[in-house]
Amino acid sequence: MVKEIEVEPVTRLEGHGGLRIVIGDDGKVKDAQFNITSTRFFEKFCEGRYCEHVPRITPRICGICPIPHHLTPTKAVEDAWGVTIPKPAYKLRQLLQNAKQYSSHALHFYALAAPDFLLGPFANPALRNVVHVINQMPDVGAMALKMMDFGQKLCAEIGGKSVHPISAIVGGMKKPMDEDARQKFLKQVGENVEWTKKTVDIGLKVVEDYWDVVANVGVVPTYYLGLTNNGVHDIYDGDIRIVSPDGKKFDYKPQNYLEALGEHIPGHSYATHMYYKPAGYPDGIYRANTLAMINCADKMATPLADEALKAMRAKVGTDVIHHTFAYHWARLIELVESIEVVATLLGDSDICNPDCKTLDVQPREGDGVGITEAPRGLLLYHIWSDADGICKKLNLLVATNHNIAGIEKTLMHVAKQVVEDKALEGIKLPDPWIK
Amino acid sequence: MAVKVAFMQLSSCWGCHQSLVNAHLGLLDVLPALEIVYWPAVVDFKHDSLVARENGEIVVGFIEGMIRTKQDLENTKLIREKSQLIIAFGSCSCYGNVPGLANQWSINEIQSRKFMEVESATTKRIPDQHVPGFEDKVVNVDDIIKVDAYISGCPPRTEQIVGAVLFLLGQKAFPMNDIAFCEDCALKDSGCLLDKNILCYGPVTSIGCSLKCTSSGDPCVGCMGPAKNVFNKASKLLEMTRSLYTISSGEKKNLYEFMCLFLNAPLMAGFDLSGDILKQVKKRGKPESPLANMPSTTTEIATNLLSFLSNHPEFHETSNVCDTCPRIIGSKSTMTKVKRDFESLPNQEDCLIEQGYICAGPITKAGCGGLCIKVNSPCTGCYGQTEWVTDQAARFYETIKKGFNVDISKEDFLAQVKDPTGTFNKFTLASNRGFNRGEL
Repeated sequence: MVKEIEVEPVTRLEGHGGLRIVIGDDGKVKDAQFNITSTRFFEKFCEGRYCEHVPRITPRICGICPIPHHLTPTKAVEDAWGVTIPKPAYKLRQLLQNAKQYSSHALHFYALAAPDFLLGPFANPALRNVVHVINQMPDVGAMALKMMDFGQKLCAEIGGKSVHPISAIVGGMKKPMDEDARQKFLKQVGENVEWTKKTVDIGLKVVEDYWDVVANVGVVPTYYLGLTNNGVHDIYDGDIRIVSPDGKKFDYKPQNYLEALGEHIPGHSYATHMYYKPAGYPDGIYRANTLAMINCADKMATPLADEALKAMRAKVGTDVIHHTFAYHWARLIELVESIEVVATLLGDSDICNPDCKTLDVQPREGDGVGITEAPRGLLLYHIWSDADGICKKLNLLVATNHNIAGIEKTLMHVAKQVVEDKALEGIKLPDPWIK
Repeated sequence: MAVKVAFMQLSSCWGCHQSLVNAHLGLLDVLPALEIVYWPAVVDFKHDSLVARENGEIVVGFIEGMIRTKQDLENTKLIREKSQLIIAFGSCSCYGNVPGLANQWSINEIQSRKFMEVESATTKRIPDQHVPGFEDKVVNVDDIIKVDAYISGCPPRTEQIVGAVLFLLGQKAFPMNDIAFCEDCALKDSGCLLDKNILCYGPVTSIGCSLKCTSSGDPCVGCMGPAKNVFNKASKLLEMTRSLYTISSGEKKNLYEFMCLFLNAPLMAGFDLSGDILKQVKKRGKPESPLANMPSTTTEIATNLLSFLSNHPEFHETSNVCDTCPRIIGSKSTMTKVKRDFESLPNQEDCLIEQGYICAGPITKAGCGGLCIKVNSPCTGCYGQTEWVTDQAARFYETIKKGFNVDISKEDFLAQVKDPTGTFNKFTLASNRGFNRGEL
């Protein structure tokens, strides 16, 4: 008898979706689908808006990562109109982006991912959540909350609001940071570096405990998509980089994205399936997000993070890493880099320099592309402006969307491992940290 | 005993949830009071478990997001059935938010752009398997079900959400400052408004604001929440609230604001508070303050005012963002043409409108605390409008012409705004309260 396993909705996930796995009479997995069940058509209703208003609309694409959705369209308009921003504005935006990365990665690790590992995969669903983690491990819970709080408060300070920021404008930033605020946050950086190190220790202990799972479940070769700045890990500025399953690297200027990135539209999901065009679909299916960034980077931008990257490569492999569960480890490496970048930029008084907005901004007809790396993957805005600076057309390649095809491919792989190969039967699981 | 609550997530960005989570350590006070039976972003209960619950079993159902898909529509009805109280949580469920701008086009045109015409697509089709399908237009939640209370904002401020939850649960409000507003008030030593029998809530309100209201002769409306210690003038205020039979129109507005802001009531500033707050009053059996741990004088004042409100459900005046903005109106600047946001860089003292920018403050409900304006960016209206079913572009012009340094004709003004819909109805086009409901 054909059996369908349905998970509706997928929880502890940003977005709206369900899973569907079909198992045939012969006990073989016939189909594995990741159904994304909603979309709101930002690419359409931004038409006719002022180009400079688009960055005030699009943060509503994602309330968890609204900062990249504010900065990236701003960069796209600047590209279209040929605007160069002053250095202090560049630094402020970098700081804003990294503050978001820091709080988002802490949130992802503790609130979205950790319940699976700390309680174990077979725990009572009613308890398998961050609320229970906070109750059972109050010290760790309080530390996690303070890390997120630091990142979000810093976002609010620079962005005006942490959710749906408003301070970036075509030409720079509307306001420099206040010196008092810089000093206040600077004082808190030290303890955040310490909390980050503790988080890495917890993460590495989890990896060690679950090594059998990490090394054997969901090891799926795909392409990878990331952003690097001359090969160095960067989340605000740089070029598109693709890494092939066997580790070859290909770089593209953001403006040439159509040569590299294609969207296959499946019948069963409102989120499209992205792939590397030269390799075709489905062979060219890639993944984005933390592990992809780590696979793309020649090195990290900061010393502690680079050490952490070397440690990961020493353990998992120096070539491209296909272990899906290593995403969490890669996220911790990025977490380290984000707090180091935050520390460096807060130490730079240039972020308080009032020269944060160029007056030389003139709308012109043309199109422009902006990219950044959002916490869930590369984010790309392609905007077409008319001579008055009205948005004629918009194309968006959104962070999470880059992962949908890769997730589905991984789902199929894991479903076969579990259903056909009974891979979980002999797998070693640790005792849960929390019952 | 913990109260059963559920969070229904329709098509949305989840920013309202992030805003709630932004309470961070403050969550530790709230969470023990809640039994969360559905919240896909955070806990693992699946859809089936919600369907299996008894009707009315959930005390408070929060709805976040707008109705874009057929699944959203079904989920809206489902959470209504299961919940005693429904709160529209955030501007998506209140008004449809920016995705409501899509109502300018047909669903075919919209789908076409995303699935058939997009530059990076290499196949073209409209997905139709195991996906719910779209509503023709973004539908407002309160077109489909009865909503008991609205918390607007994109997102609502953290304090506002936590305040709403605590209010509903009968818990204490956000932490209070020790000292009352009066200590810093410009009228402390002479000209106290209470001496003139004007209702001013300074004696029971925390310090911490810019003191703008009393400095310009207007009473304090309690924006900063309750103070831990009242000022000695509280006795005068108490005496006035004991014998409150009628109040002037201006005082109605202030009372209204006071009840919202000061009590952290679900609706905060604006929104049809009288009806909704009275629903709460009725639910509780007697009009009393929802806040614990307040000075007894403050509790008595709040209770007297709630009593008064319960007998006067006709209030419909709301305050706007300008009322809480620290910038100078009547400044050295004058609007002579409409400036785009990218033009020059405004100074941080003068009203943005007088500097030539379109700032939706005068037509937008208060409650946000003017966060955008503090980073030198104009308000775009995310808390919703203070008056509905009217041409907002024209209303905006009439409003600024009256109260601001503006030297531009209506015709010129309207001609210079190239995107009136996106400028004045950015968050509300799909709402049944909005002008023309997007059928432009």
